[in-house]
Amino acid sequence: MSSPNPPTTAADALLRAGIDRSLRHPVMFFLTSGAAWLAVSIILGMVSSMKMHNPTFLDGPGWLTYGRIFPAHINTFIYGWGFQAAFAAIIWLMARLSRQECRNVGTILTAGHLWNLGVSLGVLGILSGRGTGMPWMEFPLFAWPIMLLSYLAIVVWSFIQFRLRPVGHTYISQWYLLAAIIWFPWIFLTANILLHFITGHPLMAAGINAWFRSALIFLFFTPVALGAAYYLVPKVTGRPVHSYSLAMLGFWSLAAIAPWAGMQKLIGTPIPYFLPYIGAAATILFFIPAVAAAANLIKTAIADGKVMAYSPTLRFTLAGIVALVILGFAAVFLNLPGSTLRMTQFSLTGYGFDILALYAFFSFVMFGAIYFIVPRVTRREWLSTRFIRWHFYLSIYGVIAVAFVALFGGLMQGAAQENWQEPWVNAMTQAYPYVITITIAWTFVLVSNFFFFLHLLLMWLRLGRRSAHPTLLGQDDHAFSAHGPDGESNDVETPAPAH
Amino acid sequence: MPPADPSPDLDESINVTQAHDRVVREAAAAAREKRIADNGREPTALWLIVVCGIVAMIAGAVLGDAGRFFAYATTFRPDYVRAVPEGADATGPEPRAALAAFAARGSRIYSAQCQGCHGSDGRGGSGYPTLSGSEWVIGDTQTLAMIIINGMEGPISTGETYGVMPGQATSMSPQDLAGVMTYVRNSFGNETGDVTTIEMAANAFEISDNRDSPGAPVNAEEIRAAHAAMLPGDPLDPEILVDPISLEPVEDHESAGAGS
Repeated sequence: MSSPNPPTTAADALLRAGIDRSLRHPVMFFLTSGAAWLAVSIILGMVSSMKMHNPTFLDGPGWLTYGRIFPAHINTFIYGWGFQAAFAAIIWLMARLSRQECRNVGTILTAGHLWNLGVSLGVLGILSGRGTGMPWMEFPLFAWPIMLLSYLAIVVWSFIQFRLRPVGHTYISQWYLLAAIIWFPWIFLTANILLHFITGHPLMAAGINAWFRSALIFLFFTPVALGAAYYLVPKVTGRPVHSYSLAMLGFWSLAAIAPWAGMQKLIGTPIPYFLPYIGAAATILFFIPAVAAAANLIKTAIADGKVMAYSPTLRFTLAGIVALVILGFAAVFLNLPGSTLRMTQFSLTGYGFDILALYAFFSFVMFGAIYFIVPRVTRREWLSTRFIRWHFYLSIYGVIAVAFVALFGGLMQGAAQENWQEPWVNAMTQAYPYVITITIAWTFVLVSNFFFFLHLLLMWLRLGRRSAHPTLLGQDDHAFSAHGPDGESNDVETPAPAH
Repeated sequence: MPPADPSPDLDESINVTQAHDRVVREAAAAAREKRIADNGREPTALWLIVVCGIVAMIAGAVLGDAGRFFAYATTFRPDYVRAVPEGADATGPEPRAALAAFAARGSRIYSAQCQGCHGSDGRGGSGYPTLSGSEWVIGDTQTLAMIIINGMEGPISTGETYGVMPGQATSMSPQDLAGVMTYVRNSFGNETGDVTTIEMAANAFEISDNRDSPGAPVNAEEIRAAHAAMLPGDPLDPEILVDPISLEPVEDHESAGAGS
């Protein structure tokens, strides 16, 4: 039983426009530098994938070896692209939802540059052979305090804005964003202190590292993406969120389950016996928050099928939500200690799961948010429907191929590795065709992100269309002139389709 | 629509239509947005509850599989033995050729007890004789056994005199003695190619116990008089497969060797 949508008043519109204007520089800074890191990361991913099936490719200097290129790939993806997209989403959504302009743009921008400095130095550290060798924490030791401090300087204002919000209802997105803001420093500090300062048994260090990776996905990227999706889907469709109780279930089950996950990666090693089993059970249970949120959002969206056809925001967001459902199923099927879990330990499957979570789910929702946010903060509309469409299709084909081939090819590879009577090299031979497919699929993703980055760069340079009408899919590419549709009033009251 | 309360004292120079247009354009995206409505109150679908319930049961089964979480006494047996992988016979470690298995055992004992004086290359050094090509090492096994068990004083086979070598066998089992003898007779350039068996080593201990003064170092005179012979016992084919731990020949080495 929902009350009808209250109309947007002029006061609302001006308040929103003011908030958007105040955040223009930090949001665009995070998005463009994030997109640039994404392109770098995909190139590194392609190179490292190519080395899997062609070991002599670029085998000259030390910094081009697989042991450095692959960590550089995954770390630039996470800290270069993932976090910066998350920063943009967090500061913009929190300001909008707390109905306050951002008053700390200078600090945020400075901290943003500091973050980028930390990531750049960290990547150089990895490439020059000074990486720590701990997956997803490979940046040399100096990087993490820089990153933690700049993280705090970026998001603390969103926290304050939330505290100072006008009294009233706290929206679902705010739960998720606030949780992500708080959870990341916790997991980041815990992992870094336990791995660098209060070190214990090296096997437990590997376990803590596995926990950190899992927690980064489930306790940071997942809540940020869900917070954004819970904002975008009702916003674009204009419909209330399907079920408040389901949203509560999704949020609290995530908060209760996700911190336990991760150590199943060490099953079979002599760490305390219950840890891998608890990790496996918690990762399986991740299905519940994933599917609860996804069902809620999909039911909110599909009531109006037409919007999905033309809104780039909704299309990207829902693709990400579908990936979340797949991620939930993968979490169940890949973590059965009796059968599949062993096959994921040393095979491509773990990579497939990570890419499914980081690209197919998180990044797609972030793309959806970007297609929504950027026209608002730049006050220009997206230039080209075709670019958006290419970005969508090439990305989705590419990431489906990477994730599924890595998941299922990795299972075959894992089964071959388990067969101890065969030489280890046979397992790699078995994975050969899958690795080639992954390289080809990354090429698709690279092309798609070339268009995305170009498009975003043009928007950042304020070369977008000056128009009151949004760029929508499902229309002829040439329907718009560079200055908006002809012969139409650009009055606010004109019922333009939602964007 | 222009802002709610246009200023009453609008400057004459401001073109109102233009200003309006600017606001409209700049706030256009924000103005066409829909508001986020109150949350829906739809009931949670039954299928969702059922599916989540099934997943919860799977997770419960995984936890149940883990046994009793903190009861280490029941989850880990004190005399832990490595699990036999699927498809392998429960034969323990893979059998090896006798010469290699005995020498591997002997090599560990040599590095613990002999290497300090005779060197890792067995060539001795200042104050210690070489084992490489020594008549008493590669010659009669009983000679070598007596020297290892009891120690040695006086001139050696070459006539040179070094210090007193103490006996080394206080903590050696027959397997250890057999191993170290096989090792020194087949290393450092020595290549007798034979295996000193466990039976021979056990006999060596017996012979040593029956000496006139058991435990005292032997000398060249006694060696030449009483111990210039091979140790009694059946020879062992150096290629026969034995268990590398017990050094006993593997009964069904044909089938056990086929898996490797």
